[in-house]
Amino acid sequence: MAISLNSPCSLYSPTKSHLGFFNNQRQLAVFYNKRSSSSSISSKQRGCLVITCSAGDSQTIVIGLAADSGCGKSTFMRRLTSVFGGAAEPPKGGNPDSNTLISDTTTVICLDDYHSLDRTGRKEKGVTALDPRANNFDLMYEQVKAMKDGVSVEKPIYNHVTGLLDPPELIKPPKILVIEGLHPMYDARVRELLDFSIYLDISNEVKFAWKIQRDMTERGHSLESIKASIEARKPDFDAYIDPQKQYADAVIEVLPTQLIPDDNEGKVLRVRLIMKEGVKHFSPVYLFDEGSTIEWIPCGRKLTCSYPGIKFSYGPDAYFGHEVSILEMDGKFDRLDELIYVESHLSNLSTKFYGEVTQQMLKHADFPGSNNGTGLFQTIVGLKIRDLYEQIITSKAAAPVEAKA
Amino acid sequence: MATIAGVNLSTPSVFAKITDPKSKVQPSRSLWLNNPSRKRPAQFRTGRMHMQPLRAAPDRISEKVEQSIKSAEEACEGDPASGECAAAWDEVEELSAAASHARERKKDSDPLEAYCKDNPETDECRTYED
Repeated sequence: MAISLNSPCSLYSPTKSHLGFFNNQRQLAVFYNKRSSSSSISSKQRGCLVITCSAGDSQTIVIGLAADSGCGKSTFMRRLTSVFGGAAEPPKGGNPDSNTLISDTTTVICLDDYHSLDRTGRKEKGVTALDPRANNFDLMYEQVKAMKDGVSVEKPIYNHVTGLLDPPELIKPPKILVIEGLHPMYDARVRELLDFSIYLDISNEVKFAWKIQRDMTERGHSLESIKASIEARKPDFDAYIDPQKQYADAVIEVLPTQLIPDDNEGKVLRVRLIMKEGVKHFSPVYLFDEGSTIEWIPCGRKLTCSYPGIKFSYGPDAYFGHEVSILEMDGKFDRLDELIYVESHLSNLSTKFYGEVTQQMLKHADFPGSNNGTGLFQTIVGLKIRDLYEQIITSKAAAPVEAKA
Repeated sequence: MATIAGVNLSTPSVFAKITDPKSKVQPSRSLWLNNPSRKRPAQFRTGRMHMQPLRAAPDRISEKVEQSIKSAEEACEGDPASGECAAAWDEVEELSAAASHARERKKDSDPLEAYCKDNPETDECRTYED
């Protein structure tokens, strides 16, 4: 149905004048002509017609999000789709156990759908879902590539309730495709397709505390069973999932707080946003002065905080051999003015107006992590992704003119 | 039976089954077949028949979680480092995640809002702006 074009095709008519004769034209897209590539190039040269494009936006950007189960991927997804506007919902009229979420601009795909072995298959072979042998990376690569090129795909569905692979569902290529799961960065080919990648690195103590919160109300679960479940999955996790963090452009690391000695409730968290330097279209957030090392406690005369307070630090570092900048927050927000005060001192947030981060956090005040660094950094990463998307769009729109010239 | 009738008719939403969690899907269907004068629940009209199983999902999933924990404990009695043991506990983790998602979905959805999204013209859902 949709065509993958060799020449870049733009769907935007930017108003900035440096793009020459695209200035006055509002293109309306959508001609289905197999030979459109050549005819569109000649029409460009005539200077009167703007590009033909397939109905699917071939400027799909692909974001990868990796994290273990129970680590906040769904919360992150909800925040991310909210930054772009609109709520993401499962496809209407389809399989109710579908893992896919669709909003106006974003489609979120759960990589569990690419399991090659269903639950019984894995039990027979004695492999966990974390093991690469249980996943079909060839299909994952094919379909993500197809969607990136603007072609719809029939994606399988892995039903988490029954543990079976259900009949596939049709996914149309969106403007922003998010692939979330255990292995978005495991396969090198898929990694090449990602425009931006994020890894949620939760430390063992915090993971244990979160899983207790999640599972203790379930009949049948006890502290021992939760612990045993984490321990049994740990070898596979360390071998296959954890190494992906070296490839991520941004890592959100969640650790227990250092402000309260011997805290094991996990209510106050120390969260570090590790941002890779030199990533195209991504400029790291900084505090006060880019590239220097800062420790900042906002609580004092202008701002009163309750125990244990808030502590920020920022600085350059090395992470798995790359240059990174690390912004760290320890503590939690109790009041709105703490949040806005902190926001006003951070730079390079890619917000469109003053207070946007605070507004986004308040919009989802009921989400877990809304009062600490996890929510703050997830929101900031969401804004960064929006900025990345807009930059890619404008640079692709500029490309045809450069190609002609 | 009275509870089934009460639940089935006024609120077509699947989540209304909370009041009678043990009831199975089949009896409720046959009930309105026996009483054709009753208004059919919206989900059948809009073809959302597969929403029915979700009525009991939280319990079904909870039972599955329980069973999987038991089988994982059995599998690990032999050799705690084996692949079977890891796979069994992985299943427990997967089902616990599914159960917590189901609980969240249940918590979020308001039966009336869900119904009105698909049927804004019905009496219960009409909005007036003066």
